[in-house]
Amino acid sequence: MIKLTIDGKKVAAEEGGTILDAANQAGIRIPTLCSHESLRPAGACRVCTVEIATNGAKSLTTACDYPVEAGLKVSTTSEKVMEARRLAVELLLAQRPHSSKLQELARKLGVKQPRFVLAEQECILCQLCVRTCQEIVDVEAITFVAQGKDRGVAEPTVVHSLDKCIGCDACAYVCPTESITVTDIGDTRTINTPSGKLEFKLKQCQVCGKYWAPEKQLDYIIEKWHLEPELFATCPDCRD
Amino acid sequence: MNRVVFSSWGGNIVDNRRKTAGYTPVENLEFPLEHNGHRVRAFMSWWGLVVVDEKINVADMTHAYLKEVQKLSCGECSVGYLGIRVMLDTLTRILGGKGTENDIALLRWLGNGIKANTKCDFCALALTPVLDSLKYYEGKYTKIKAAQKSLAKPAYLTRITAPCMEACPAHQDAPGYIELINNRRYEEALALIRQTNCLPGTMGRACFAFCEENCTRQDIDKPVSIRALKRVPADYEVTAALEPEAKVKKAGGDKVAVIGAGPAGLAASYNLALKGYRVTIYDEQPSVGGMAWVGIPAFRLPRNVLGREVDIIKKLGIDVRLNTRVGKDITLEQLLKQGFKAVFIATGAHAGRELGIEVEGGGVVDGVEFLRDVNMGQKVAVKKRVIIVGGGNVAVDCARTCLRLGFKEVIILYRRSRAEMPAREEEIEAAEAEGAKIHYLAAPVKALTEGGKVTGVECIRMKLGEPDDSGRRSPIPIEGSEFTVGTDMIIPAIGEKPDLSLIEGKSIDTTKWGTIVVDAPTGQTSLPAVFAGGDCVSGPATLVEAIAAGNKAARGIDRYLKSGRATPPEEQVVEDWLHDVALNHQRDGNIVAKKERQSPEQLPIVKRKLGFDEVEQCLTLEMAAKEAERCLRCYRVMLLAVDGKK
Ligand SMILES: Cc1cc2nc3c(=O)[nH]c(=O)nc-3n(C[C@H](O)[C@H](O)[C@H](O)COP(=O)(O)OP(=O)(O)OC[C@H]3O[C@@H](n4cnc5c(N)ncnc54)[C@H](O)[C@@H]3O)c2cc1C
Ligand code: SF4
Ligand code: FES
Repeated sequence: MIKLTIDGKKVAAEEGGTILDAANQAGIRIPTLCSHESLRPAGACRVCTVEIATNGAKSLTTACDYPVEAGLKVSTTSEKVMEARRLAVELLLAQRPHSSKLQELARKLGVKQPRFVLAEQECILCQLCVRTCQEIVDVEAITFVAQGKDRGVAEPTVVHSLDKCIGCDACAYVCPTESITVTDIGDTRTINTPSGKLEFKLKQCQVCGKYWAPEKQLDYIIEKWHLEPELFATCPDCRD
Repeated sequence: MNRVVFSSWGGNIVDNRRKTAGYTPVENLEFPLEHNGHRVRAFMSWWGLVVVDEKINVADMTHAYLKEVQKLSCGECSVGYLGIRVMLDTLTRILGGKGTENDIALLRWLGNGIKANTKCDFCALALTPVLDSLKYYEGKYTKIKAAQKSLAKPAYLTRITAPCMEACPAHQDAPGYIELINNRRYEEALALIRQTNCLPGTMGRACFAFCEENCTRQDIDKPVSIRALKRVPADYEVTAALEPEAKVKKAGGDKVAVIGAGPAGLAASYNLALKGYRVTIYDEQPSVGGMAWVGIPAFRLPRNVLGREVDIIKKLGIDVRLNTRVGKDITLEQLLKQGFKAVFIATGAHAGRELGIEVEGGGVVDGVEFLRDVNMGQKVAVKKRVIIVGGGNVAVDCARTCLRLGFKEVIILYRRSRAEMPAREEEIEAAEAEGAKIHYLAAPVKALTEGGKVTGVECIRMKLGEPDDSGRRSPIPIEGSEFTVGTDMIIPAIGEKPDLSLIEGKSIDTTKWGTIVVDAPTGQTSLPAVFAGGDCVSGPATLVEAIAAGNKAARGIDRYLKSGRATPPEEQVVEDWLHDVALNHQRDGNIVAKKERQSPEQLPIVKRKLGFDEVEQCLTLEMAAKEAERCLRCYRVMLLAVDGKK
């Protein structure tokens, strides 16, 4: 166990864990946006900012991706921390003013109308969808395209590949800003993403006739787990 | 001397603006204020702001600088990416005369806020001079009209580099491809690597990785495994059975001859072919790859890896003439007469040096020759005991090769101590682990023979004296300390030198060390249509230096054939100008968490002796993602304001 201090409270945390894990265990709430307990941290949104002091040095960092270290002193509520969180949320809100999640975060932190305008973007680049597709679905249909030297992209984006996507809708589920949405109409599932629209044919249940899952997703599951296709002839409700 | 008006270089503020006499000089400016006819008006970089000409419009320059920074702001974190965008928008507004009272305060608030809390170091460190300019040149932002009148708009020259990129002779964009690997965009990573390195898989294995020696990460824990990371997208392309896309600019350009199919010749050919030139390569060997093919052992660089990369280059339409020695089968004049508009000499350093001891009879084989025989599938007699003389990579490669061939006892004789040994530490350790013995501070005096066969070596003990030209302490024989070691074979591996017979009697300048003299930025020799690069210019060096020389020469030849003069391009001028700016120091970085370096698996020792299987394995994609996350993205943007064109 690693011993550290969070807001003056002595905390023992598991080695390899993050400040966020340790704080959660100690009942100290740190706001987050881009982190998810089942996913590798990204440190993208900077909402979980805390202040750390170690070996005489002091700086801000993000709780979701900073590993616990023995003797680390963490402050989750200092004025500097609050100011940094407000900056992050103000920027995000300026980019995506209609997101209810961001509005709520802003309210909690006391951020009012952003003082600047940014062209509205649906995607705030939190990469939750990217990581979900990679780590949970294990498909890697979504990648992050960063800006950089000789890269020839004008803006960083998240790109969905129709070739690889199986239409499972996990990305829509984790998206915090409703930038990815799914609608099932008749035999078609449509996933709307910032990089375009993807369509999937849905499978019909042999018993009740309901369209219940994308055929491509079922094919993927059948192949991955070496299952019998007949298993998926009926929807879960009609299976006994 | 040029007087600097203002400087925040390294955080030391020197302000001479209101002085009429007694100017404070600026210490340790790491770049000259003049280069190639350009004069510095002002300079902006992560290390500070330097203003030489007080008429310069600092606000406009900051805007130009921030625009470059914005292009590199990756988007991996909200604060850096969005924050820089808002700052740039705000600055644009101010410069357009539409600034508001609160704008300066907003810029400061954003600047400080971003500096304190970005995911990687790039945006944070890049803002340092912007904040300096807001602090010390506020007037230029508030009195925009007056500021704009000040000086004819200067020309801005940009240079983007990083500690690792700077240490790499080919200036490969390591943070760029590492980031792409992190985002699992392997094909793009590979395309980016190929812009400066046409042999990614080869270099991902055998490069000596100067980049890692200069990586910022080592101040925190250990350098990023840059070399191992480079191999990942290269191997990915092979396992995924992908073919690289190569866009050849309209073919049918001038004919260029390349002499030598080593890495320097290949790099030049690759780049020239991409530019549309019709390239013919000549090599005296029956195979392509130079020392990488005939020298570097297969257990470090499997032949199918190099072979595949050579094929990719050849597919650009390059004509390869093997078993053809220029100077014997065909001459330089003939090439020029046959319509080749330019020639690139990349013949390496293949002439073995004399050991300087008397030997009669068999049992003595030069190290490079020995490796060539093994690599070319020649049968070599396996002896019981071999003594290898030398402490460089060739010696170590010979030792490891002998062990694999079944030599019972392999001894390296080196005249200095371990600390001076020029071979790479990892290779030395591997050789020892595989069973080689190293005798330090000993040199051969003469070979002992019996019936025309080597039976042993008489050696002498050495001690270390004063450092010599190379900075290494020179060995001095200890009188009367002679001793003999029995052996069946001696392999001198004490370095090679270029064989320049092909240019004998031509008006091409050479040095007293027997290397070719060239104009460094372009590779041009004293004979305008002839260029040279690689080991034949530098003496025995490394793969990456050879590739860098090939890249440069391709640019030089292109300029020469287009304009009649091989003048270096503007970016090269800026590069040479700013190449001494130390990149490792940084002002006010944030605390970075330690993260364990991922190292590739190594073949178990027992399996190595069985043959020439590759020792080092590739990082798995998972390990690669973890390793790529360790990169701090230490891009450095430098902006020079020089006199405008008018
Ligand atoms: C054993 C050994 C191991 C090495 N290991 C490494 C390593 O791990 N990493 C690293 O970075 N560097 C290593 N090096 C150094 C590296 O191989 C060289 O620095 C590099 O290959 C030089 O490239 P080059 O293109 O200048 O010349 P070369 O690779 O030497 O190629 C020159 C080519 O020109 C041909 N040639 C010569 N004369 C003529 C002529 N008159 N006509 C036609 N063709 C001609 C030769 O046949 C050869 O193919 C090693 C060197 C050796 C000897
Ligand atoms: S941390 Fe990344 S960018 Fe910085 S020197 Fe190392 S490899 Fe280069
Ligand atoms: S939750 Fe930690 S950076 Fe987003």
